[in-house]
Amino acid sequence: MLDFLFTYRGPIVGTLFLALIATIVWAVLYGRKLMRTEKSDAVFGNPERALGGWHWVITGVSFILLLWFYFSWDAARAFRPVAANEFCQVDKLSSAGNPIRSVLPLEKSFLKGTSLLVRENRQLSDLADDLERLGFSDTEKAEAKEIVSLMRLAIVGATSPQYLDASTQTRFVDIESRITALTAKLANEGYPGAPTAAQEEAAANIARWGDSGNEIPYAPATPLGYKFAAAAVEMKAISKDFIKIKNTNEHFLGQVDELKSQIAAFDTKAKAATGLDELLVENRADFFKGLTHVLRRVDDGNIFPPDALNGIQTALVALDGEQKSQQGGLKYFGALMMPGGEIRAGSNSCSEQGSGRWLPKPSDTLRTFVRISNPEIGYKGNPLLWYKMKPFGEMVDLVVPDFISSFVPGDFPRHDENGVVTPNLKSKVHDFVTGNFVSFKVPMPAGHVWDSLIRVVAGLFFGILLGVPLGLFMGLSRFSKGFFDPIIELYRPVPPLAWAPLILTIFGIQDDGKIFLLFMVAFAIMVVSARTGATGTNLSKIHAAHSLGASKGQILRKVILPNSLPEILTGIRIAIGVCWGTLVAAEMLAGTTGIGFVENVARKQSDYEIIWTTIIILGLLGLLFDLMMRWVIDKTIPWRGKG
Amino acid sequence: MKPMKNLLKKATFTAIGLTFAASASADINVAYFLEWATPNQIAKVEKTYDEALGEKVNWVNFASGVAMTEAMLSGDIDISFSQGMAPFVNAINANAPLKAVGIAVVYGAGGDCVVSNASGITKDNASELEGQSVAVPLNTMSDFEFRMTMVNLGVDVSKITVVDQEPADAAVSLTDGQVAMACGFGENSLSKMKEVGKPIFTLAEKTAAGIESYDIVSVSEKFAEENPEALKTFMEVTSQANADFAKDQSKISVIASDAGMSVDKTKKQMAGFSFPSAEVQVNEYLSKDGKVATLLPFMGKMFATAAAPAKADYSAVIDASFLGATPAVAATLESLAERVMSLEAKVKTLETK
Repeated sequence: MLDFLFTYRGPIVGTLFLALIATIVWAVLYGRKLMRTEKSDAVFGNPERALGGWHWVITGVSFILLLWFYFSWDAARAFRPVAANEFCQVDKLSSAGNPIRSVLPLEKSFLKGTSLLVRENRQLSDLADDLERLGFSDTEKAEAKEIVSLMRLAIVGATSPQYLDASTQTRFVDIESRITALTAKLANEGYPGAPTAAQEEAAANIARWGDSGNEIPYAPATPLGYKFAAAAVEMKAISKDFIKIKNTNEHFLGQVDELKSQIAAFDTKAKAATGLDELLVENRADFFKGLTHVLRRVDDGNIFPPDALNGIQTALVALDGEQKSQQGGLKYFGALMMPGGEIRAGSNSCSEQGSGRWLPKPSDTLRTFVRISNPEIGYKGNPLLWYKMKPFGEMVDLVVPDFISSFVPGDFPRHDENGVVTPNLKSKVHDFVTGNFVSFKVPMPAGHVWDSLIRVVAGLFFGILLGVPLGLFMGLSRFSKGFFDPIIELYRPVPPLAWAPLILTIFGIQDDGKIFLLFMVAFAIMVVSARTGATGTNLSKIHAAHSLGASKGQILRKVILPNSLPEILTGIRIAIGVCWGTLVAAEMLAGTTGIGFVENVARKQSDYEIIWTTIIILGLLGLLFDLMMRWVIDKTIPWRGKG
Repeated sequence: MKPMKNLLKKATFTAIGLTFAASASADINVAYFLEWATPNQIAKVEKTYDEALGEKVNWVNFASGVAMTEAMLSGDIDISFSQGMAPFVNAINANAPLKAVGIAVVYGAGGDCVVSNASGITKDNASELEGQSVAVPLNTMSDFEFRMTMVNLGVDVSKITVVDQEPADAAVSLTDGQVAMACGFGENSLSKMKEVGKPIFTLAEKTAAGIESYDIVSVSEKFAEENPEALKTFMEVTSQANADFAKDQSKISVIASDAGMSVDKTKKQMAGFSFPSAEVQVNEYLSKDGKVATLLPFMGKMFATAAAPAKADYSAVIDASFLGATPAVAATLESLAERVMSLEAKVKTLETK
């Protein structure tokens, strides 16, 4: 049934997307109508004004879903499933031109040659400044200066058009004409002709967008795709030839050779100088290293005359313009429906980058959720939430402490010569308390969600059980306030994660450590809220009860406790939220199961679908608990705020 | 109100200006690990990279290879030095446009699986691990090492309770006897583990079992396309630093302080490291049927998930052209073929389990 859903995910998501927009529009209109027609006596500040408004709940939920559908590109995928594949081909072409584009002032502000020139000249100036401090003799200094100025000249030699080799010039013109030819081809309707049989076969075999993970089909499958893919292949060849072009004019090469020999000669001469300070020798070595570095970079031959690349730039801009217009409606679709990122072509795969990558599509997340909910698949060998038939003995083991068997007199039996073990009373008791006996099986919930739930509930339970009485006590007694205050206030502000290493050593890797961490969080909150509740009790109520002859216990039970209930229940509500928040940290300690464990493992693989699934599960569980607490609050303290 | 507004306006413009200045700078950003001693840290400290590249090189330390991938994808990092193979292969499975352009470190002893003395387990009775707990940082190179070790010793991994722990936490659990074995990396954590236990395999045994790990130098494809010269220079300086260090180890204290370890620990760690020359990298590791090409599909299968399935072909993500060494005719073809066969056999045993 779910496979069926996935096959038709396009129409389903598309309908949902439109329905969500319609819902929001309807809710806004309805809200406005309500405002006009509804007569309310409540003045500003009256909480009654915040009652009702379920249509705003629908709007809020729809709005979140709408954002999710939109920014994860699920809507885009629904309305135009081939868009990703086509964008993949488009980016193949534009990234094929990257080596050329990065040299030109198209995406960057400066021509690459210009930045190189500025950089090398700056470094030469630095070297020239250093020269004064290196203890060279005057003749040596002059010689070194000459080298620096010769280096500058060499750079000028590379930039002046008069020295540019005719062959280099021809190669530039060749590149330019090839790009122009490609532009013309791109504009041609018939290009690249009918797809070959191999291409058609590849197109027939490609998966759909996102069939497995964030995969985007790589092979072209549409007329637009064939065109761009073919152009990309040609562009790649052009780029490859382009980066081979180096400035190799005779004049420049001659200068570089001369420089090399000069630096070498100067270096040997300087090295021969004796009786110099060690530091000075090192600095001199650095100076020569610096000179050689600059020379080697100049020797790369990436600096050309300023206007040498103009033709190529014009051709490339024309190509970019043509490929934009060839995209037609696709580029508007991309701008409108695929916000916050783009599709990038790599060497053997295309991928979504930006929000499309880190925000998985709702339909895919649902599929992942359904998949790992299947108890036979689960995650890392455990189901999300399922039941397991557990022998009754295991529960006995859990409840009855194991050390009882050591109180039974005698020794544990040993095996005899025939290898037979005869059980005695001691071993029988031991078998019972460790649950090692044949027993009927009962179904027990199991899985990541259940394990997390148990941990949170146990932490909360102990937190409330111990925190509330202590809080009340602290609100009523000077001793306990003074005695417990420092301890609680000292540990309360420490983030739970900071406790992690300590708890690991004290409690080990079993559940008790994780539960203790959650308990600590819940406990502090409960103490503070119960204490605030107790101290906030109206004194006149206590006096009234007292004068009517109530005992201490009666005052505590009948006056103080009910009056602190609003604070205590609010505290529980906060504690629930914080406990779910701490769960991920607690399960990071030593993960074997739990939602936090799932998230920690998925994080290491950047498996965003699983991460979002866990986020949603955590959110929903938190919401469920909160709704329960709201119900409890409504039932137990309906008088709150009305006294 | 007026002056306040002006001030705000000015502040905004300055902020925008600063952002532009930051994005316009052509610095090269390199990711690296602390507690991971490599000779090129001398070049890093002495600014050899900056001089050779003519640009400022920013070194940013990372806690995990996954974070390096994320930073490369967002464009904040250009080169990741010594990214583990595990996060790299995960990234490739998830279609990230990255490339392996060199080998940073080859290590046998950088990571280890340590069995506690209290458990009384050695490699001879390793099957006793079944039914016990083992601490492993999942989806890392240690995870790979753990599984390879268990396959080699014939231990059924599915019967072991695997506890996902960071190496530092795993060391604590091993000390307390909570787990029988802990796998991890990082010299500080490992030496703590070795105080209470012994590695299940010696370095020689690991090599014999084919458990050799290497960290790679990975780059984003865009950076490699646009700055081939810079990348070449970077690899050259790295090779030079490795060669210099092989001749003269006097500067080990520089590495130690940069890696954040004591000199002793650094020496110990580096004893288990090797840094292949550009020629060796090109011929043995990054060649068509080199070690990386054999290991990548194997690991790709191991870490594949439903959302990021293994690729049919990983050869496109290996690029040795920036190393500046020419591939020689592989004299070791025979041994390579053997490696492929043994790895394939292991894949099969993994699959059948």
